[in-house]
Amino acid sequence: MNPELIQAAADNPWMAIAPEIALAGLALLLLVAEIFLPKSKHGLVPSISVAGQLGILVGLLVNWNGASVGQPLFNGLLMPGAHTQFLRAFFVASSLLVSVLGVVALAKQKMPKVEFFVIVQVVSAAMMLLSQANHFVLMFVALETVTVGFYILVSYVRTNPLTLEAGLKYLITGALSSGLLLFGIVLLYGVAGNPTLPGSSADSMNFDALYGFLQANPGNFLASLGIVLVLSGVAFKIGAVPFQIWIPDVYQGAPTPVTAFLAVSSKAAGFAILLTLVNVFSPYAGLVATVIAIMAAATILFGNLAALTQHNVKRLLGLSGVSHAGYLLIGVLASLTVPVAASAIYFYLFAYLLASFAVFGVMTHVAGENDADQELDHYTDLAKTNPFLGGILAIGLGSLAGIPPLAGFMGKLLVFMTVFAAAGAPVGPLTAGCYYGLLGVAIVGVVISIYYYFGWIKAAYFDTWRAPLLEGETDPTPARTPVACWMRLTLGLLALASVVLGLYQGPVAGWLLLR
Amino acid sequence: MSVQFIALLTLLTPLASAAIIALFLRKQGTLASIVSTLAAAVVAAGSLTLAFGGSRFGADLGAPVAIEWLKLGDLSISLGFLYNDLAALMLSIVGVVGLCVHVFSLGYMHDDSAKARYFGGLSIFMFSMIGIVLADNLFMIFIFWELVGLSSYLLINHYCLKQSAADASKKAFITNRVGDFGFLLGIILCYYAFGTVNLVEIGHASTAGTVVAAAIPLLLFCGAVGKSAQLPLHVWLPDAMEGPTPVSALIHAATMVAAGIFMLCRIEPLFAAAPAVALQTVMWIGAGTALYAALCAITQSDIKKVLAYSTLSQLGYMVAAFGLGSIEHLHDETKTVVILSAGVGAAMFHLTTHAFFKALMFLGSGSVIHGCHHEQDIFKMGGLSKKMPLTFITFTIGVLAIIGMPGLAGFFSKDAILYLAMENNTPVFVILTVTAVLTAFYMVRMWKLVFLGGTRSEDADHAHEGGASMTLPLLVLGLLSVAGGYEAIYGGHFDGVLKQVAHPHGAAHVTILIVSLAVMIVGAAGALLFYKSGPADSLQQKVPGAFAGLNVLKASFDSAYGYYVAKVQQRFALLLNFLDQILIAGLIVRGLSGVVGLFGLAARALHTGNLHVYVYWFLAGAVILWALAAGTL
Repeated sequence: MNPELIQAAADNPWMAIAPEIALAGLALLLLVAEIFLPKSKHGLVPSISVAGQLGILVGLLVNWNGASVGQPLFNGLLMPGAHTQFLRAFFVASSLLVSVLGVVALAKQKMPKVEFFVIVQVVSAAMMLLSQANHFVLMFVALETVTVGFYILVSYVRTNPLTLEAGLKYLITGALSSGLLLFGIVLLYGVAGNPTLPGSSADSMNFDALYGFLQANPGNFLASLGIVLVLSGVAFKIGAVPFQIWIPDVYQGAPTPVTAFLAVSSKAAGFAILLTLVNVFSPYAGLVATVIAIMAAATILFGNLAALTQHNVKRLLGLSGVSHAGYLLIGVLASLTVPVAASAIYFYLFAYLLASFAVFGVMTHVAGENDADQELDHYTDLAKTNPFLGGILAIGLGSLAGIPPLAGFMGKLLVFMTVFAAAGAPVGPLTAGCYYGLLGVAIVGVVISIYYYFGWIKAAYFDTWRAPLLEGETDPTPARTPVACWMRLTLGLLALASVVLGLYQGPVAGWLLLR
Repeated sequence: MSVQFIALLTLLTPLASAAIIALFLRKQGTLASIVSTLAAAVVAAGSLTLAFGGSRFGADLGAPVAIEWLKLGDLSISLGFLYNDLAALMLSIVGVVGLCVHVFSLGYMHDDSAKARYFGGLSIFMFSMIGIVLADNLFMIFIFWELVGLSSYLLINHYCLKQSAADASKKAFITNRVGDFGFLLGIILCYYAFGTVNLVEIGHASTAGTVVAAAIPLLLFCGAVGKSAQLPLHVWLPDAMEGPTPVSALIHAATMVAAGIFMLCRIEPLFAAAPAVALQTVMWIGAGTALYAALCAITQSDIKKVLAYSTLSQLGYMVAAFGLGSIEHLHDETKTVVILSAGVGAAMFHLTTHAFFKALMFLGSGSVIHGCHHEQDIFKMGGLSKKMPLTFITFTIGVLAIIGMPGLAGFFSKDAILYLAMENNTPVFVILTVTAVLTAFYMVRMWKLVFLGGTRSEDADHAHEGGASMTLPLLVLGLLSVAGGYEAIYGGHFDGVLKQVAHPHGAAHVTILIVSLAVMIVGAAGALLFYKSGPADSLQQKVPGAFAGLNVLKASFDSAYGYYVAKVQQRFALLLNFLDQILIAGLIVRGLSGVVGLFGLAARALHTGNLHVYVYWFLAGAVILWALAAGTL
């Protein structure tokens, strides 16, 4: 080929989003495959999905440095930054793992199987775009693609009333939060598009233009209101207090792979967009810092305290996920003054992905036909009857609790260290004492969390006694699904990665921290 | 293959072997023994290739190998290798003796029901020991230091159904904790003083003329006191003989207990930069241990206990040799280098020869015990020279080597130490000479009772030589016990250590020769004449007072510690337990958890499940944030 053609291909913005296109294209391919394959071959569809996603992930990793970093695409709709390459790989990996869990979990339900994979992939592609958004229109469209996809996924098992309830609750609270977000966007668009104000722009939904306007107009009331409302909308995604209220019900009702998807990808997408927005809003750092600091403290305390008394493991994970959002929020606060905090957050999210999928993987095998009914009691005896699942569970929960030498510990340590560093230059009305106070709250939260995480491990390892069944009583513990060979491999790799990353962070942390 | 890769392979092969055995071969003892022995063969091959290939690497020697493992603010912990002549010598000893012991174990542990656990333990020990040898910083040494402690615990406790073995393993572990506490404090203090725990950087800092507080080397020495079983923490080593005999040969004679002396030699610049009192303390503790253990060994009737006390005594010799080293200032063309001349050389030389002949004697005793169906009482043996000729010959070489027969390994290394003592410190010279007399006495006593005369029990009547896997290691070690004293066999590859060995010249040479010959003859003749081949201890019959006195001496430490634990520590623990139950468990833990639990219930109650309530939550949240934005909050 002649070099001009290659140059043209490289300059083509569509090439830059090839992974997203491939992922969505794969989704269409699955639909086509379903139509043309005979019914007996429908079992192939999940395999095609997993193999295709694996291929995309490998392609992304191979072309790691091929991205046009720092070049605005599509007239500034997208801005591939230094971290977006990591996030894209993160979302593809998460999508892949959700699909793997889906294969196990859907086998227990009498539901159509293909749509699940299709929607997961489309949602993931939207998240990948979301992480690169540089414009409110693209951000909102991508976000709605994600949210609408989740409405379907949460209520996927239509035969289960709890799932339907969860779907309805997610729909209404999600719509409400989208409303808040949109209202905020409109306010910002309006005020930044006002030609009588300095720094106004015709394209005021563009983040760069908005940043310029906010810098030129400190203390504008409408702008601060817009900022707060936009932050509220994002807070819903990450499950920060007071917008966390939907989490336990929805997490419990949603099928387990979807819960994992919500817990990992949706939360990570929320933090990706939050980190972008915090940069855009940085001229109003005082306001942003206050809002985030208050939310973070409330989120850590509330998430941990509420998780303490849960018996249903999905609710427990949901509320513990709320507390993780709180730890990450103080990292976001630190990122206002210490840019490296963003890297710490991404490391934390990666450790969280490894540990969460390990735990959710165990859960899909312990759960029975009624997916919403997953109690701590069901884990009695697990370590004895299935030491493999017991071991994975212990590593996953240990990493979530932040026990050294697992990856979760290093994630917490990195985030807390950046907060400690940020205390040297407090923002706005906050004092250094506020940062130390937040760290104190976070450490208290971690201590509380050890109680419920280890309560779960205790159930699996030490509670070996079961009450004998009375006559006519059926065993309330669902039968455990045998672990397939490829699932063993997946879970084993996740646990191994948690251990290795806890002992030696070199490649991942090195790459993240250098940027 | 680069040399660093060979070193890494040497370190990691036993770990891989241990992992494979622990994960897959727990029930397949024979396969596990083969895997573990192959790993030991790789270690031996790797260590000898590295040592005689002549390559040395580390921070000052070029081609440093280190990765930064953990970095927290200013504290950076790296993992790296420092492979100088000292490490090369030690690694070769570990490799050669380790392989001999593995091969011997194939025969000795042939019928054991938990063979896989045993060989897995040996592999994890080899990994940990090589880690100590190669480590380039104190922190890494400490990690592997604890790992050898763990593997020693596992292997002493191999016959875990025996109460005495369980007790012995706990005693070994806890006693080592006491020493390791000091070691850890020393490392922390070292980091505080120098800002680094890297051996090479410490060396630079202390040769640059920094005055080091005597506390640093002495606290680090605490680790060696525990691991190398010096007074007053020696109590665990005789009990550790509850483990299988090959383990005693490898861990409790040749390598692990010598790790303390090796570590001292590694931190030699610290001693050189510290006040002389540090070195003198080390010297006196070593000399005291040497004499005390030799006195204890005289009354022992268990063949392994005699060897254990003899090991203690010889370790005391090495520690004393290190302490006897004089601080010398060598003037290089660029800088002044301060080294402990002679001490390191003598200590390491004796460590080397001792590793050979003591491992030989332990394996020989293993062969005897195996032949006599696990009879360990020397008064129930006798006459084994005819039943087990090969064991007899090799064991005799070992005995002759340890008592200092001219021409054998022990003669050279012991003379080096005695010469050093004669030159530097007369009281210590006297103590060490007396110890040497006692050594010859109790060794020949044991040798005579075991091998000469007539058999004195049914087990001894039926004694027989073990298979080739048991006799071959004896031959190899026997050869090394003969040749190990001649520097020629080291081929000049360990000059960094062995060139420091002081050689007497002229009149001093003659004096030392006469002293050591006299010592050997007096001790050996005393034993030969005094002891009859009979079922009872001649010393107990003829001089019961002395016998009882020595026994009291031996038991004194145990009874003192027993009194302390039962009367002081136990009562203090009761008091603490009371406080713990009432204050901590009752008030703080239960109280706090109750309060937190109440909050948890309240938080849980907020999740009513009612969608209306949820929507109000959202609106309330938005309003609060709005108020924040408006500045009213």
